[in-house]
Amino acid sequence: MKKSNIPESQFELQVPDSLKTEEMTLSMGPQHPSTHGVLQVILKTDGEIITSAKPQIGYLHRCFEKHAENITWHQVIPFTDRLDYIASMNNNLGYVIGLERMMNLEVNERAEHLRVVVSELNRIASHLIALGTYGLDIGAYTPFLYVFRDREKILDLFEEICGARLLYNYIWVGGVAYDAPDGWREKVLEFCDYFDPKVKEYNDILTFNKIFIERTANVGVIPAEVGINYGVSGPSLRGSGVDFDLRRDDPYSIYDRFDFNVITGKGEMGTVGDTWDRYWVRVAEMVESVKIIRQALENLPEGDAKETVPRNIKVPAGEYYMRTETPRGELGFYIISDGSKMPNRVKVRSPAFCNLSVLPAVAPGVMIADLVAIIGSLDIVLGEVDR
Amino acid sequence: MRQYFKNIYEAIATILVGMGVTWRHLFTRAVTIQYPHVKRTLPERSRMQLFVEMDDCIGCMACERACPVDCIEIKTVRGGKDEDLGQTSNGQKKRLHVVQFDIDMGKCCYCSDCVFPCPTGAIRMTPEYEFITYDRSTLLTKFATYSPEEISELEERERKEKEAQAAAKAAKLKAAEEAKKAAAGTDEPKSE
Repeated sequence: MKKSNIPESQFELQVPDSLKTEEMTLSMGPQHPSTHGVLQVILKTDGEIITSAKPQIGYLHRCFEKHAENITWHQVIPFTDRLDYIASMNNNLGYVIGLERMMNLEVNERAEHLRVVVSELNRIASHLIALGTYGLDIGAYTPFLYVFRDREKILDLFEEICGARLLYNYIWVGGVAYDAPDGWREKVLEFCDYFDPKVKEYNDILTFNKIFIERTANVGVIPAEVGINYGVSGPSLRGSGVDFDLRRDDPYSIYDRFDFNVITGKGEMGTVGDTWDRYWVRVAEMVESVKIIRQALENLPEGDAKETVPRNIKVPAGEYYMRTETPRGELGFYIISDGSKMPNRVKVRSPAFCNLSVLPAVAPGVMIADLVAIIGSLDIVLGEVDR
Repeated sequence: MRQYFKNIYEAIATILVGMGVTWRHLFTRAVTIQYPHVKRTLPERSRMQLFVEMDDCIGCMACERACPVDCIEIKTVRGGKDEDLGQTSNGQKKRLHVVQFDIDMGKCCYCSDCVFPCPTGAIRMTPEYEFITYDRSTLLTKFATYSPEEISELEERERKEKEAQAAAKAAKLKAAEEAKKAAAGTDEPKSE
C-alpha cells in the first residue's frame, strides 16, 4: 500500500547513534479547526511522519439512542435531525422509512416526490460544505465562500418549504410536514438551472488547480478491500472505486424510478482511492443529484402531501433494519418495537463513525499536513460520529 | 527537469483560471446583506419564536404532550358551572381557565411539533427571530394573564368545589349503601 507520494528515502533519519531521538505524542484537536468539529486525534509522530493516529471521540455525545427510548415515535424525528446536522433531511428519511416499512404504510405519491427532492437538495448542500471545508483544510479560502453562497440558496428553499434552515423535522411518518408552497417547484427548477454552471466554477477554482491536486492526489489512499473491511461507505467508498450506492442497489422511497449514474473514483489524478478521488466523487455526485431533482419535479403529482400522515403512530412489535444513502454513506436505523408508544431501541449505524474508523489504518506513514487532507476527504460530521 | 517546469507552468495556468472566476465574480451583485441595517423578510412558515394566542387556548395540553423537550408548562383550573369563558376564534367553547402557560424558549428545539396538534391554532411559530437577551431566565415566556391572587382564588374555588363534589359523592354512596343494607336487611329474613 502506497501511503505517501514522497519517496521513502527522504524519511530516513540521518542521526548519529549518540543522539537520542524519541517519538512525540501530539494531540490534534478537539479545538483544531481542520478536525471538523470536536474530534481529537492522538498522533504519535516520528519527526513530521505519523506512526500512529488514534481518534478520540465522544466530545459531542448526546445519548441519542438512550434518549429515543424515552420519547414517542414521532418525537424521535427532531432528534434524528441532530445526528448529521448538515444533512438532516436524509436522516429523517432513514428513520421514517424504517417506521413506515414496519407499519406497512403506503405513502402519498406527492409526498414521496417531495421527499426525494428535499433529500437530494440536502445532499447537494452537504457536498457543498464538504467541498468548501476541504478546500479550507488544504489552504484554499475562496472556494469556501463560493460554496456557501450557493448553499444559502438551498437553505432559503428549505426555509420556504418547512420554515427551518438547518434542523428541518420535515419528513414525517406517512408523508411530509408541509406541502410545498405555491411556486416552490419553479424556484427549485430555477436553482437547478443556476447550479449546473456553478459546478464548472468550483472545478476551475479548486478541483483542477495544480496546487490542490499536488496536495491531494496520491495522498491517503484507501484501497477498495481496506475500505470494505473497515465498513467505509458512501462517497468515501466510491472514491476507492467500489461501485455501490444504496439508492440504486437497495432502492428505498422511489429512487428506483430515476435515472442517474453512480460515480466512482478512477484515479484520474493519481491512485484510485486517494483523497482527490473522494473529493471528485462528491463534485460529480452533485450533478447527479440535480438530475434526480429535475426528474422528480417533472413528475411531481398534484394532491395533498399530508394525506397519508397517520394521527397516531402505532408500530407493531418487531424489529427492522433500515439503511439509506446519506451524503456520508450508509445510515442504518435498527429499530426495535414492542408495540408501545415509544421505541424499545433505536440503534444508529452512522456512516461518519465507520468512515472515521479507517483513519488509523491510513494515517501511518503520512505527514501531519496530509492527515488534515485525509480527515477532510472522509467528510465526517462529529454530531453523527458521537451521536 | 522538464516535469518540474511543467508543474510550475500548470500551477500558474490553473491559478489564472481560478483568478478568472474571482475576476468575473467581481462584477456580480453582492449576495450578502448588511444585517442590522438591512433585514431579510422571512417566509411565512419560518420557525422562530413561539407565540400563543391566549384567547384561543382551551387548555387541552396537546402541545405540552407533543413537545419532545418539555419546554411548555400549562396549568389549568376548571371554570365554574355558569361561568362564561368565551369562545375561541374557531367557535370552540372554553371550559378551562389556563392560569399558567409558560414556554421556555431556551429549551425549545424549534421543531414545531407543538403547532400541529393544537385544535384551535392558538400556538404558532412566528418569523420573529430577534429575541436574544443577556439573561437566560428572560427566555421563559409567560403567556397567561392571570395574576397570582386570581390564580389562588380560582384554585381555592376549585378545591372547594371538588370537596363539595367529593362530599356529595360520598353522601350519595353512603345513601346507596344504606339503601342496599336496608334492602338486604329486609331481604334476609324473607329468605330464611
